[in-house]
Amino acid sequence: MSGNSPNNKKSIVDEYVRRLSKYASDIKFIDDTLFAAIPSNSFREAVKLVHDEFDCYLRTCAGVDERPVNGFFAMYYIFGDDRNGLNIVLKTYADPSKQVFPSVTDICPAADWCEMEARDLLGLEFKGRQQYRLVLPNWWPKNLYPLRKDVPHDIKPKPSFTGERVSVGRKGSSAPIPVGPYHPALHEPEYFELYVEGEKVVDVKYRGFHVHRGIEKLAETRMTYQQIPFLAERICGICGFVHSTCYCQAVEKAARIDVPERALFIRSIILEIERIHSHLLWVGVAAHLLGYDTGFMHSWRIREHVMYLAELLTGSRKTYGINLIGGVRKDINEDKIPKTLEVLSIIEKEFARLVDTMISVPEIKFRLKETGILPKEDARKLSVVGPTARGSGLDRDNRRDLPYAAYKYADFNVPVYDEGDNLARTLVRVDEVFESIKIIRQLIEQLPKGPIMAEEIDIPENRMAVSLVEAPRGEDVHFVITGYGKPYRWRVRAPTYQNIPALKVMLNGVMLADAPLTIASIDPCFSCTDRIVVVKSDGRREVLHLPSQWGGMGCSRL
Amino acid sequence: MGWNGLFKTLVKKLGPLKALIIASEAGRVTRKYPFEPPLISEEFRGKIEIDENKCIGCGACVNVCPPNALTMEQDNDTKVLKYFIGRCIYCWRCIDVCPTGAIRGTLEFELATNNIDDLHEMVVHEVVKCRVCGKPVTTIAMKDFVLEKTRYAEEYIDLDPYCRKEKFIKAIEGRFGYREQQ
Ligand code: SF4
Ligand code: SF4
Repeated sequence: MSGNSPNNKKSIVDEYVRRLSKYASDIKFIDDTLFAAIPSNSFREAVKLVHDEFDCYLRTCAGVDERPVNGFFAMYYIFGDDRNGLNIVLKTYADPSKQVFPSVTDICPAADWCEMEARDLLGLEFKGRQQYRLVLPNWWPKNLYPLRKDVPHDIKPKPSFTGERVSVGRKGSSAPIPVGPYHPALHEPEYFELYVEGEKVVDVKYRGFHVHRGIEKLAETRMTYQQIPFLAERICGICGFVHSTCYCQAVEKAARIDVPERALFIRSIILEIERIHSHLLWVGVAAHLLGYDTGFMHSWRIREHVMYLAELLTGSRKTYGINLIGGVRKDINEDKIPKTLEVLSIIEKEFARLVDTMISVPEIKFRLKETGILPKEDARKLSVVGPTARGSGLDRDNRRDLPYAAYKYADFNVPVYDEGDNLARTLVRVDEVFESIKIIRQLIEQLPKGPIMAEEIDIPENRMAVSLVEAPRGEDVHFVITGYGKPYRWRVRAPTYQNIPALKVMLNGVMLADAPLTIASIDPCFSCTDRIVVVKSDGRREVLHLPSQWGGMGCSRL
Repeated sequence: MGWNGLFKTLVKKLGPLKALIIASEAGRVTRKYPFEPPLISEEFRGKIEIDENKCIGCGACVNVCPPNALTMEQDNDTKVLKYFIGRCIYCWRCIDVCPTGAIRGTLEFELATNNIDDLHEMVVHEVVKCRVCGKPVTTIAMKDFVLEKTRYAEEYIDLDPYCRKEKFIKAIEGRFGYREQQ
């Protein structure tokens, strides 16, 4: 699939340019990304063309306050054509006096959240859809849009205590069951309302974004290019290296910085180590949710070897702190290689044995099989990513489709299962652990000599790039517009953002007892805790705010 | 079902018991920490230590520190480099940039305390004042550091940037007989 010859790719790009030029005023093609600016009155047709006819996935969309530069607000919709290894960025402007954009959610439902996020953070309006507050808390003042360039980063509006009601009796006779505000096993803030009839879930409501941390604003105002990798890796408590790599790649791509080969190899190796530890963690959590704590303990025991290895190679168990724009800060020197290979063999042997034992427990198999089904068509429509997509028969993996770092030097399989149930998603992850081990071995063998940091790092202003990294839980997208000393705009889309809407489909019709596992089966990463919800005896819920320094590690919401 | 079939069924039913073998082979893997040393590798990045005899108060570390764990405060007589461990993320970027090697990384991570003062460290520098206007210019240590590198700096090292400019303009005037036009 990725074996597209350059000629072939060129003819595909030409085809895009030819058909888009009907709508677009300005089209540019750089590296693997096509940028097209399209006036808002023909924008929907252009999206239809790219989404339906070219069959592209929506990666994400991003609002940008470009008023200081050209007087407009802009929306960037980032699409992906994985089969041909392309990114398609469609940009549209709105009349500055009204700031109204045409919504495209009826064409690609995956745009629902990112449009609402742009509305919350930039005050843009979207015509032709239901609008609601998504990422900011209810008490946040109206007309205060944090991502606008004229809003300082350190405003602190006074929070007020607001309640949210559990909506009783939403669907006929169904009864609501709240799950959250913490996930029962993942210890992250999220709130699901499951509507049950008897033991069956018939509908689900999700309320997330309890912990919007303003990371993008922080980076765009008070940090510098080389400080942001350390902020980026703190977006997630597990795939930290994914985020810092993705950010660095985006800036490197925008500024055309040549990263030394050795650094690229090191990045790929650490990314795979991160995937192994993430999947081992997940297998443990899943076993725990199924009441099979033996599996949990042993999975985490094996994982400990990887954590130690991560510390040996990066200086931190959490693979933090070695990415910078232009390369990496810590070399994998000769004497660490034998230890790395040794750890890999231990994991390979022990994990194979553990999986074998676990799957032979009939109850485990029974509870995983045919629960939480996500059919392929829904998976496609919602543009889900990672093991969630690959468990529903969608063959997407950025490591193969749009190779970055050193993946083009490794030979590996992308496991895909068609069933779409919890078992399929589990098996994808299990297989991926072995594939990752394979990748690391190959890369270590070919590790080239040389420097690990680019010599000259010069980042011109007003360049754009989209960068993708296949995180353990799916595709991670960073979109950067460069500015002076720091990015003008840095948009992050973590994989869970794309996968949560699919839970509505998966949870429909499952037994209540299977709901926590089904929720966990997308390996969600909600966010760090910075406020808690108190349920009062009369059923009212109140939100209590904790000082932000109480926040833990954690995840995907920004 | 023959003996063979029965044996197969038995193995299948007993499959889950393989966990017992795995467990007995793995044995105990946890450590009796804190009675035993913790499991950290020699590559671990822990808290930093600033050598106040080597630090010159240049502020390079303050500029790179991502979470503002290092800050610099200056008043008329002193310039103070402050390290707040509570904010430090142990990235060691400060070590990378320090021109005098004043910062050293350690393996220390057991930093919990019930007294927040334990988490603050500081290096106090005395400042050099401008010989013309009396405003603070730089630290004494910085002055020594620069002079060691280049003696020519003696001419201007203890001048405020503004006074330095004045001096420069005067020097040019003297040389070319040029007068600034009002
Ligand atoms: S280690 Fe990192 S966070 Fe800590 S003081 Fe140094 S630069 Fe700042
Ligand atoms: S000498 Fe080193 S420790 Fe002192 S301020 Fe400069 S960079 Fe920081």
